[in-house]
Amino acid sequence: MRALDALARRTLVARPLRTILTIAGIALGVGVLVAALVLNAGLDATAERSVRDQLGRTDLRVAAFEERGLSAASLGALATTPGVAIVAPELERRTYPVAGPGSGAGLPVPVTLVGIDPAADAALHDRPLAAGSPLPLAGGDVALVSDALARADGLAVGGTITLNGSAASGPRAFRISGVLAAVPGDPDPAGRSVIVPLGAAQSLVGTDSVSRADVGLAPGGDVTAVIASLERRLTSEPYTLSTPGDLIAALRASTADFRATIALVAALALFGGAFLIFNTLAMTVAERARDIGLLRAAGMTRRQVTVLVLISAVHLAVAGVVLGLAAGIGLAALVTALFTPGGGVLGIRELVIPPAGLVLGAILGFGVTIAAALEPALRASRISPVAALTARLEQTAVLRARLRWLTLVFAVVGVAGLALWPGAGEGSAGLARPLAVYGMLLGVTLVSPFLVGPLGTLVGALARPFLPVEERLTRSTLVRDPSRTALTVGALSVALAVLVALGGVAATTRRAATAWLTDVIPGEAVLTSIRPVALDEPQLADLAAVPGVARISPIGRFAVSVGGRRLDAAAVVGADLLADGRLVLSEGDRAGALPALDAGGAAILPAAVADRLGIPLGGSLQVLAGREIVALRVVGIAARTIPGSSGEAVLVGWRDATQRLGVLGADVFAVRYAPGQAAPATAALAPVARAMALEPASLEALAGTIGASVDRLFALLTALAAVALIVAGLGIVNTLTMNVLERVRELGFLRAAGLTRRQARRLVMLEAAVLGAVAAIIGVGAGVLAGVILAALGAGPGVTYDPGWGSIVLALVGGVGLAVVASAWPATLAARLEIVRAVQYE
Amino acid sequence: MPPILEARDVTRRYRVGSGDVDAVRGVSLTVDAGEFVAFMGPSGSGKSTLLHLLGGLDRPTSGDVVLDGELVSRLSDDAATRLRREKTGFVFQFFNLIPLLSVWENVALPFTIAGEDARHGEPADAVRAALASVDLDGKERHRPDQLSAGEQQRVALARALVRHPALLLADEPTGNLDFSTGTEILDRLWSSCHEGGQTVVLVTHDAKAAAYADRVYVMHDGSLRDEIRLGRREDHGAGQLIARLADLGL
Repeated sequence: MRALDALARRTLVARPLRTILTIAGIALGVGVLVAALVLNAGLDATAERSVRDQLGRTDLRVAAFEERGLSAASLGALATTPGVAIVAPELERRTYPVAGPGSGAGLPVPVTLVGIDPAADAALHDRPLAAGSPLPLAGGDVALVSDALARADGLAVGGTITLNGSAASGPRAFRISGVLAAVPGDPDPAGRSVIVPLGAAQSLVGTDSVSRADVGLAPGGDVTAVIASLERRLTSEPYTLSTPGDLIAALRASTADFRATIALVAALALFGGAFLIFNTLAMTVAERARDIGLLRAAGMTRRQVTVLVLISAVHLAVAGVVLGLAAGIGLAALVTALFTPGGGVLGIRELVIPPAGLVLGAILGFGVTIAAALEPALRASRISPVAALTARLEQTAVLRARLRWLTLVFAVVGVAGLALWPGAGEGSAGLARPLAVYGMLLGVTLVSPFLVGPLGTLVGALARPFLPVEERLTRSTLVRDPSRTALTVGALSVALAVLVALGGVAATTRRAATAWLTDVIPGEAVLTSIRPVALDEPQLADLAAVPGVARISPIGRFAVSVGGRRLDAAAVVGADLLADGRLVLSEGDRAGALPALDAGGAAILPAAVADRLGIPLGGSLQVLAGREIVALRVVGIAARTIPGSSGEAVLVGWRDATQRLGVLGADVFAVRYAPGQAAPATAALAPVARAMALEPASLEALAGTIGASVDRLFALLTALAAVALIVAGLGIVNTLTMNVLERVRELGFLRAAGLTRRQARRLVMLEAAVLGAVAAIIGVGAGVLAGVILAALGAGPGVTYDPGWGSIVLALVGGVGLAVVASAWPATLAARLEIVRAVQYE
Repeated sequence: MPPILEARDVTRRYRVGSGDVDAVRGVSLTVDAGEFVAFMGPSGSGKSTLLHLLGGLDRPTSGDVVLDGELVSRLSDDAATRLRREKTGFVFQFFNLIPLLSVWENVALPFTIAGEDARHGEPADAVRAALASVDLDGKERHRPDQLSAGEQQRVALARALVRHPALLLADEPTGNLDFSTGTEILDRLWSSCHEGGQTVVLVTHDAKAAAYADRVYVMHDGSLRDEIRLGRREDHGAGQLIARLADLGL
């Protein structure tokens, strides 16, 4: 074994570039896999920590379902429920601080106001202070401010912060008794929170209810029994009950799509690495067929030959896996730092390196390397001592063998990923999409050998007028080893397909996320509010009176409970939608349905909700409101409505919303300007709106903000997929270098016969360009198909797929560009060949 | 006849380990247009290296090579390449055919490299004629691995001849062939010279092959040891040459 090991090492050292490329391929594949696992663990840890930070020692959270909150009666019932020891109520609202003199014309940055019962809160939550003292138990106009808010607004202990309240209460000043330490779990998305005694908060916003109550159980208390008891006793308002486990699960579920997509990208990167290993060992076996034959003639057994090749693979795997583990941790740290500053787009707060993830990465890295090495090892063992010295392997048989191998490795990676991926066992709905795409890409890779010839000829024809000599020679080279060419093209096309698919899904998501603005909003600008604005507030008339404003249409977003499920809903003015030509119904009469909303007792369902609930046009939507069931007749089904927090909203009229469903007011106002008056009216409306704490924005600006958020998320995924592209690039370097080395003597003759160094260089670069172009064509086709699958399974019906033309152009140009860049070294090798040595090369 | 090829005190030095080795040292010679010249000598005597220098495949460490009036050893790589393309044709011991190209495509390579379409017109006629001259009609579509060794070398010869270069350089063209096939190749080289007026420079260790030449240079240890003038003869008899070589102790 030691002798075989020494021989295996020398084989690898003999071709240092190829060995390094292969190790880099394995390392990058394992690296992306480990990075995905580290990100996965980071998401899990973040979910747990967020819930822990928010809930503290809470055993159960009771949250109001409606805007009107939980009443004193509910809190009373909660406190007297057997098994409940502590009830810590909280009132949470967004409001604006009163801007100091000299601040700009715009609205100040809002804060999140949290009212607490200091005594009960202290029993369940730790609120460490950076400075000052906690809220006094006696209450009063005292506040704790978050560290971020104190820094941003220059607040300090002993100072004051004045907050805007309801129309009745007006602004109110709070003395700052303490500054909260900077800890995760701040209720405000920007970390700008103000904590005040509950009574002061209720007085400020003009309510006697609370948003939620955190419950601590008595020692030995049973959550299940308490929940059962609460369900009988809390009957005043709709509510939701959540244990810390429920909230963690919900947070995890919200990132399921992202996790599934990075699993797909990781699997494909690993596949790219597997391709490199296979190609390297296959080339080594082909190159050393004569040596192997001699070894066999000298007495080496078939088994020893197999072991010799496998030992080479083990050496490659050890180096690749070790580097890959380090690269994966580094990549995850980079992604976390670059894409999630302060909890950003994914909210990953910390880098968690899961030991099980490292083991999984190492096992998969080794497994794929050995699986990739098996076919070349077995092929080497079949080389006969006599045939090795004379025969040339028959190409079709080699191609078939490689396709079988390819199927095997793809299947191994897919099955291993499904079986071992964290969370795969917890309902694998999220993995359905990546698996469907994975299978499709497998099919494309298997078909690509048959496409390379015709596509290569087609692409080459484009180069023929400019580089006739190189084009002719290129075509003959690409068919020299069709399976190697096909595998190289396959790896690159899969990587490009993932990029195109992600680009298409991003474009489709952006379209779906922004289309409602133009399809549903009856106006060309919106005014948003951080609190519900009652429709009878007298200042609303001021908005409508601004010169050039034709119409102000209120929209109120809220949630309803239907059959125990939470559904997003929105109150709209049907007449405004009708007049503005907005809202396309796939079923129902628009002219009748929209006025029916205003009349009351009616609802328009998004198609996805109608499908899910199985409610047809004319059916009845049974909504739980307080203790009553409100029946709303379905008068229309729309392809697209307003997006809510977890799906599209059921549309109802304002009469039902305010009188029967507990909606307090609107949080969005659509503005339609009179023809030709948009510019002056926009300018005139802004100060009036801001005086009412409404923030104006054009639909374009809103679309831009939403699109930027979508782009940011997909940029992260694209960055991971780009690593797969680098692996494919290494494959191209490998293949082209092998092509050059295999035909040194031919190139030598061509140079002797008058081929210039420049032509030799162009010859190899053209080969690369043709490879890249063929891969790009296949990759774009497969990518569009994969994107359609991802978008269709994810977005449901009614969403028109946007192929993302930018990413398609990028894939076409990038595929060719990457291949040409990857050809730099082999092309230089070809150009630098010394003719005399080349023509004598064996 | 004016000289088509001239070597002026040509030396080619290689670095081997920590020392230098002169593969060719101080060689001066001329080859007239239409002449058939052979280089003989034992292995390692420098004859192939000299052929590479004369054909512009390699550059001398010192001295000059003049090919058809051009100082090829001083030309840029591109200019030397173009000169090779226009003036020379090479035949190697190992054929150096491109396995994926057909016989026709291999023979047409000099046209392809020069950017000419060999499927039509005069280039196509030249390919056809070259193939006919080596008796390979009907095998245009064959791949090299479908041919015998002799046929492969005939394809290589046709490729060297197809653009009718002024200078044919052949490095052990019969080294891999049996006697009968080797004779066919030599006959074809001789007729190119005798009937076609092309200059042939042949490197060989075989006295029977060298006997086709008008003059034979004997090399030893990188230098020209002797020059044997045989004159133009139809019978290619090797007796006179073998006798002279015996006199030299070879």
